[in-house]
Amino acid sequence: MSRVLEPYIYEGGIHKHGLILELLEDIGGYLVQKTPAATEVTLIMFIPKEDVPLMEDLAGNLLGKLTKAPLTGVEIAVVSPTLAYHHLPHSACDIAEHLRRDGANTNMIGLARGMGRRVAMLNDYERKLINEHDIALYSFGIFRDCIMNKKTRLFEGIEIPVVVTGGPGLSTEDVPGADLYIGNIGRIPHRMRKSEELNALDVMNKKVGELVDRVREDLSKDPPVFLAARVMKEIQDQVPDISNVLTPSPITLQLNGLRVKLPYDQYHEKIENIEFDEGFRLSEVADITPSMMKNYILIKIKNKSDTGFPI
Amino acid sequence: MDVLEEFIVESAIDSEARSYRMILEDIISDLNLVNGIGRLYVSIRPEDSVFQMAIVLRKSFSPVKVSDFSTLDTTISDEKGVLIKLDTEKYLPELLGNLWEKYQRPNVLQPERRTLKILCDDPESEIDVIADMVVDDPQKTLQSKLAEMAIRAAPEGFRVRYHHFQDNHFIFVASEEVMQDKWIEQAHEMLAKIIGGDSNVQGP
Repeated sequence: MSRVLEPYIYEGGIHKHGLILELLEDIGGYLVQKTPAATEVTLIMFIPKEDVPLMEDLAGNLLGKLTKAPLTGVEIAVVSPTLAYHHLPHSACDIAEHLRRDGANTNMIGLARGMGRRVAMLNDYERKLINEHDIALYSFGIFRDCIMNKKTRLFEGIEIPVVVTGGPGLSTEDVPGADLYIGNIGRIPHRMRKSEELNALDVMNKKVGELVDRVREDLSKDPPVFLAARVMKEIQDQVPDISNVLTPSPITLQLNGLRVKLPYDQYHEKIENIEFDEGFRLSEVADITPSMMKNYILIKIKNKSDTGFPI
Repeated sequence: MDVLEEFIVESAIDSEARSYRMILEDIISDLNLVNGIGRLYVSIRPEDSVFQMAIVLRKSFSPVKVSDFSTLDTTISDEKGVLIKLDTEKYLPELLGNLWEKYQRPNVLQPERRTLKILCDDPESEIDVIADMVVDDPQKTLQSKLAEMAIRAAPEGFRVRYHHFQDNHFIFVASEEVMQDKWIEQAHEMLAKIIGGDSNVQGP
């Protein structure tokens, strides 16, 4: 029977944080991301459910904080209609930052021609890039008419769940094509610091978390052959060059895959030939393709029903 | 005229007008325009794709000349030149830039913070030139800030624009569609309403 892994974030001092990593390895968890910042460190990890109290005790001893991070292992595209002053850095960056606090990996995508009402559109490259993610979150403005009737054109061809944020208090049904609508986060040209703004962001994280739970539930009916975190560990062990990659989160986890930030041409064979103890190579249980993002490698792990053999 | 004594934002839905007012407040404060604007009237109709804005500025500013903030003299003990004693250092960077360009760096000396010495052959005629030298034009700065404000305030897809700047009055209309004369006329009417001061327009 497979173990249940729970996503957590540890925030604490860098002093003795190695003990956390050692314990994590001993209990068979996975470290997803480590972000040191001066004397602090943030660790995002998957911990086996039954061993969470052990980790909590250790974190308490080290005077750190262990909190649940429901969006861990989810890559979210935060899409803004353009990269102009109207959307950035607030509120799109504030949204992305708040999602990251719950463990998500976010990519900001500014569309080339997403502005306006009549002319708003999505091009083929953008559509493919967004579809590589687990969730697309569109950050819209304050006008009801635009959100309900015009901007929905930007969802055409998007196959992943679509989340929309905007100013007016609409229900999800009012926005055709959206799987979730979150209000009170419209066009805000200042850093979101007021309590009602932060509350709106908290609501967003909660609702996106619920959406992710639903997606995970769907996936669990026919789950991927391997956990993405397991594949990540094998890549770290078998492709040592990944440790030289300087981009943030060189291996980005998705719900049913990973983005490996190594050049495809040079490394795809090494990735395809990654071996598992069970006797398989990665190429047999996953689709490995060039990513639309730079020249990275995109791995989508096949579902158990697709592989044709049990593992 | 007081600072922002009239600030009207109209839209079909009140809550959207309130949100837009907040956006405008942020933009005005970001661009440090609070003291420049006396009255502001914005109307936005997303369903027609039109944004109209009329502004009455509080006052016009005249260019700042060297003689406005300093005293000039030609009596330098043993050299030929002009002596400038500054009352304020506020315009010093611009002034030094202008003087370096005109008289070359070696001829512009600064024995102390508020004193400049300009070495030249004919101090009597140069003193007038320096006294009339313009170092800052607040009106021009204000105009460029207003243009920036208009672009930031209008919804970003509205790239068909009309603007009109005369005396202390500024009108800006933006749309995504072909510009219609009636929108421009409406914007002029909006301006006329707020020019009077005790206007009969009622904001939300």
